[in-house]
Amino acid sequence: MVRKKKSAQEVAAVTEPLAVEESLGNSLRANLEEINTYNGVIGYILRNSTSAAIDLKDPTKIIDYAILSSAALDASEVLSEDFKLGAMKNIIVDGKDVKVLSLTVNENKISVFMEKEANCEKVLRKLHNL
Amino acid sequence: MDNEVYSFALKNALNEIQNICPDIKNSFMFKENGEIIAGDENTPKKVVVRVLDSFNGILEKADAIGGVEGVTLEGSKGRVNISCMNNLYLVTVTSIKADMNYVNTVTHVLIPTILRLLEKIHPPPLKSNTPPLENETEIPVAEEPEEQEETPVEETLETKTLLPELPVNQLIVENLGGLLVPSDTVRIDNELLSQWEEFSEDTKIEKVELETFGGKTTQCKVKPIKDSKYEGKGIIRTPEKIQLNLEIKKGELVRVKPVVD
Repeated sequence: MVRKKKSAQEVAAVTEPLAVEESLGNSLRANLEEINTYNGVIGYILRNSTSAAIDLKDPTKIIDYAILSSAALDASEVLSEDFKLGAMKNIIVDGKDVKVLSLTVNENKISVFMEKEANCEKVLRKLHNL
Repeated sequence: MDNEVYSFALKNALNEIQNICPDIKNSFMFKENGEIIAGDENTPKKVVVRVLDSFNGILEKADAIGGVEGVTLEGSKGRVNISCMNNLYLVTVTSIKADMNYVNTVTHVLIPTILRLLEKIHPPPLKSNTPPLENETEIPVAEEPEEQEETPVEETLETKTLLPELPVNQLIVENLGGLLVPSDTVRIDNELLSQWEEFSEDTKIEKVELETFGGKTTQCKVKPIKDSKYEGKGIIRTPEKIQLNLEIKKGELVRVKPVVD
């Protein structure tokens, strides 16, 4: 967890998607890059057990967003289990300024950050097409 | 008493909402500090505590997005929705076939209306069970706090008539065992004991009353938690005998209030 945060910090100044490893599915990455162009989307974090890709418009938020993304996904597992909700599809955390959509696709944990008015459904549809 | 009325009204509201929206499987309400205000009868307290713990994990890290207004979790068999209303959080768990527009319309209209009504009828419980520090200065104090250890019994009894209703806290039961552990004494945070003592005009709190959500109550002695790993976690370390008497066990919630003799 700490290692990932550190690598994110090191590449924070770059504007291109960060620390992407070829092991991540190309279609997933391509979709996230397309989602990143949607109106109101301010970035994404994609991570699996071996690598992470982060693209945020405001790189100073990388650490905070990464921690929040992790907390949201952890909470989703607990809630799914406690309330017997079956397989987790997605979790949306609505903040006062920004909302976060997090989900797991295979081993990849994805969080998309967007402005409050952004169209979450459109992003979800795109991700569920994977 | 106000607190009970408040919780009772909300609990009934949640049960009625479940009656008109049978697709709501569980619902409960809590404050940002983790205090449970009301819950339906279907949700085990253990589950509530675990949910609060998880939600707290998000809440603590949500400054970057301006705090949390709501959380929606979608699973293959159902959804969880946590929404903020009047500084309280409402949790609803629905089946996957639930009409979310209908559920949201009902909950987002009824609950805020009831909260507004309750705020008008019983304002204090909306703020906090434990009075904030600023308010403590307004409590009539008969003596200087420094003299607390020398306070004669008669004076304590006289000042007791001036005391407002003592606060009630919800704490999580933790086991307390060992050879030399008295079976009639629970241990809670020293900070909480100090707050109660300040609130009760520096009367030393030596006994507390425990009340379970099943309505069982008992009074027992109280001492501060010694082990630092249990401090600041909202825990009440309880000997097995008391747990058996109250039919509670580790991880469950109990209401605890100071007893001023």
